[in-house]
Amino acid sequence: MIGVGLNSLALFMTGMWAMVLAVAAFLVLVVAPLEDILFAGHGDRIVVSIVQAAIAMVAVIALIFGLSRMKRVYLHKKLRQ
Amino acid sequence: MLDVANLVIYGAVVSAISFLAVYFLTPPAIRSLAAKGKVVPDAHKRDKPSVPRPAGPVLIVGIAAAEIVLYALTMNAGVLAILLATVIAFAVGYIDDSRVMPGWFKPVALLAAAVPIVVLNLAHPGEVHSNDLYLIFGRAAIPLLYLPLIFVIIPIAGNTINSIDVLNGVASGFIIIATIPLLVSVAIFGSLEVFLAAFPMLFSTIAFYKYHKFPSRIFPGDSGTLLLGAMYGAVAVAGRSEIIGVIALLPAVMNSFLFLASVKRIVEHREVKARPTILMDDFKLAASSDKAAPATLVRLIVADGPLGEKEVGHKIFMLAIFTALLAFASIAIQYVILGR
Repeated sequence: MIGVGLNSLALFMTGMWAMVLAVAAFLVLVVAPLEDILFAGHGDRIVVSIVQAAIAMVAVIALIFGLSRMKRVYLHKKLRQ
Repeated sequence: MLDVANLVIYGAVVSAISFLAVYFLTPPAIRSLAAKGKVVPDAHKRDKPSVPRPAGPVLIVGIAAAEIVLYALTMNAGVLAILLATVIAFAVGYIDDSRVMPGWFKPVALLAAAVPIVVLNLAHPGEVHSNDLYLIFGRAAIPLLYLPLIFVIIPIAGNTINSIDVLNGVASGFIIIATIPLLVSVAIFGSLEVFLAAFPMLFSTIAFYKYHKFPSRIFPGDSGTLLLGAMYGAVAVAGRSEIIGVIALLPAVMNSFLFLASVKRIVEHREVKARPTILMDDFKLAASSDKAAPATLVRLIVADGPLGEKEVGHKIFMLAIFTALLAFASIAIQYVILGR
């Protein structure tokens, strides 16, 4: 309870925070050790970096889409749009 | 490496310079701006009183004086990069304060504020920023992505703070609250020099808040909000606290995101015809029922019922405190996993 009318916004912020943490965890647990997962630790440094960068950008775009979807549901409920 | 005695002395010096400069220079700046007719109407008040604008020049004097002294004491490239990024963002904002610029101007011109961070790190490798991104659950070395990321972070941070400057005292009060977890994060995961470099942002804004709080006696203008936002971004980059910085800014990030997702292009607020809120006869703000009106944080806050400007500002501060707590929780998780 952080104040009248603010609980739903606080919940929305917590959802945003959870999504940021989920993407951060994905980047650390999957993208960072990609050289070991895909190339058994013997990949070309540049190739590995490009693949990591591409996956990281896709993850961030997925985060934005996720936020957009969450926003749509929230606005529909809050503003009846 | 700074010892504890120097840390305390330098911290006290830069805090005092930035606080006192803004505290004592703002009243003459208010009189000077009013005398020159550099005023804008305060749209949410009875009779729409004229309020002087911009306060950016006062803020940059206080911050730059403190940062120059800190740089002379430490000779740290990170401090210099933060100073230069802040000065460039101020210049961009001042141009926007002085003449009507198109919507794309601020985000594009703010790219220049990222240049000192990148260039000074080339001259002093590792002293301005690392190539590792601190991701709460671990670190990721992303040398290919990190440079473009800096050019994304600085304009977004500047424009995010700019977009939350909608009501009396909100931008300055919000920066004060968001800076506290950022400072803690920089102290733990970044360097002590960058930690000290963030003090002028906090203390100049505290001094400024005295004049900017409801009812405002001066507005920061684009020069004030862009310099504070870009400085926040520069401190987050140089202090290895990018993700923590984003989390502490979530209400402002949400506001920008909602606005952009509504209008689907980069525009100035003045260019949007349908207003997100309406001013009622009793000078309370109510949510617009116009479906073409953009969604903003203020519109969502008043969606439950009309509120006065001061009450809306108070609610935004409550949200900022809530996300500051989320940022502290993130710092705790990162500290447990990574250590210092």
